[in-house]
Amino acid sequence: MIELGILFYFITIACVIGINSFGVGIGEGLTGAAALDATNLQPAARNEISKIALFGTVLTETSAIMGLTIAIFMLVRTDPYSLTLFKGIATLGIALAISLSGLVVGIVSCWPAREACFAVARQPFFEQNIMRFMLITQSIIQTPLIFALIVAFMISAQLDDVRTLSGAIRLFSSGLCFGIGSIGPAIGLADFARVACRGLGINRHAYGTIFSFTFISEAIVETPIIFALVVSLMLLFSQAPRDNIIVCAAMLGAALSIGIGTIGAGISSGRTASAAVDQIAKKPEIYPTISKVSMLGQGIIDTSAVYALLVSVLIILFGQYM
Amino acid sequence: MQGFDLLESVYWQPFKYIHLTHRFFNINSETVIYTWITLAILAALIIPIRFILHKKGILRFVLITMIRESAEMSKQTLGEFSFNHYVFVMSLFFFIFIGSIIGVVPFIEEPTGDLNTTLALAIVTFCYIQVYAIKVNGLWAYAKEYFSPIFIMLPLNIISKLATIISLSFRLFGNIFGGAMITKLALTATQGSLWLETFALLSGFNLLLIGFFGVFEALIQAFVFAMLALTYLALALKGEEMGLEPTEGNT
Repeated sequence: MIELGILFYFITIACVIGINSFGVGIGEGLTGAAALDATNLQPAARNEISKIALFGTVLTETSAIMGLTIAIFMLVRTDPYSLTLFKGIATLGIALAISLSGLVVGIVSCWPAREACFAVARQPFFEQNIMRFMLITQSIIQTPLIFALIVAFMISAQLDDVRTLSGAIRLFSSGLCFGIGSIGPAIGLADFARVACRGLGINRHAYGTIFSFTFISEAIVETPIIFALVVSLMLLFSQAPRDNIIVCAAMLGAALSIGIGTIGAGISSGRTASAAVDQIAKKPEIYPTISKVSMLGQGIIDTSAVYALLVSVLIILFGQYM
Repeated sequence: MQGFDLLESVYWQPFKYIHLTHRFFNINSETVIYTWITLAILAALIIPIRFILHKKGILRFVLITMIRESAEMSKQTLGEFSFNHYVFVMSLFFFIFIGSIIGVVPFIEEPTGDLNTTLALAIVTFCYIQVYAIKVNGLWAYAKEYFSPIFIMLPLNIISKLATIISLSFRLFGNIFGGAMITKLALTATQGSLWLETFALLSGFNLLLIGFFGVFEALIQAFVFAMLALTYLALALKGEEMGLEPTEGNT
């Protein structure tokens, strides 16, 4: 039984660095291809385009650096021969939390960089502002990684106390919950950033309005991630007094409920905001009307994530007494 | 004497003598002290700013431009300029900004990296918005909103209102706490060997890390919190007109 725990431990380390690098590789390749296409369109702006592509790939790489940090941390801190099967299952939670969010963020954070390359090809003299905007939106897309890092460290801090199956499943489902829950909102965030960067290429006079709209919209789009983080922290700080299969099932159910419930909400909320920013780029003077309609729509879309949060919290509260 | 070693213990238990020793009633002493330091910095900033405002110069121009831009932004979001709302949102912004950027100073942790502070800020914002929604729309229209499609939706409407508190507070907490954790981890990782420490110091790695997670993240999160408070306020105040505006555009 001890050997299986060690196997899970090394699978975790491999996943954390391998899957993240896989996503980052795809993202960087797409960025480079877009930079070449943009240079074909506007060869005079090749210096600006290569600068944008360089900074875009550097920020895309954050996901792989995060995976490397976690892998080194786990290799240094944990003694593999002290791991039982239950501790091994709990470490798989770290793998899920980091690698699912890292994979999606790595692939997806190339979208604004791609569109920024084409925007610079259209407006070479506006390169400073486009690059600043791209850097800010890309660093907002990295927030799921920061949250995943919090979840991973809290799981690894509780790793020594795991003695029962339900304790192991509790940590596992906490990682699962955040991992699945960050997929949809990350795609939504990147979709919004992509359309906003394209809008800057279409109309550079809309820079101020797009800039302030971006902050509000991206904050609302990432609300489902925060719900997933709340459920994940609740799972981490709840106690599983009894060790039976029903408690384990309840924990997994809570994680799946909020995890799958946020995918649709995140993607569709991002699409709503990106449609709004498309209109704002074409017609900046309708900003007050469009922004309110978009925010109302996003609020109603987020209601489904709130219901998923409610169900998860109820499962955690009542699942403990089964 | 027990209970007087205030600076020694991390948690204060003010209700210990009436037997309320649950974790809920504990007070985190570090957060309280750092919050007071933040408030002291904010109060001390008044003196140089008054000095700048009375002299002509580039700093005065920058300051006035900043204030004008932010007032313009609040006017654009709310539809009309309101001094009360503007002051409320700007004080939230400055408190969160100073409270998050204070972590750059050694031996001081961010008060906004504690869930209690962010939860308090979110609850204050929520109460402010509800009070002004009742004041502007009237109690009847406000209460009718809760039964909006049909009366069965009452509990769900209440929950989706309360979800704004959760999303506001946990967004700020997660970002600031996560950033502080990453910075601390990277700094302790390089502490072991002299070579690594010199390299991190000279290559600008430490500066980049602290600049990103300390200053940049603080600015963005303070801005997001203030703008979201303003937007929720605008939505709550203009609750009735919202349904009409799109149809007006079509005709």
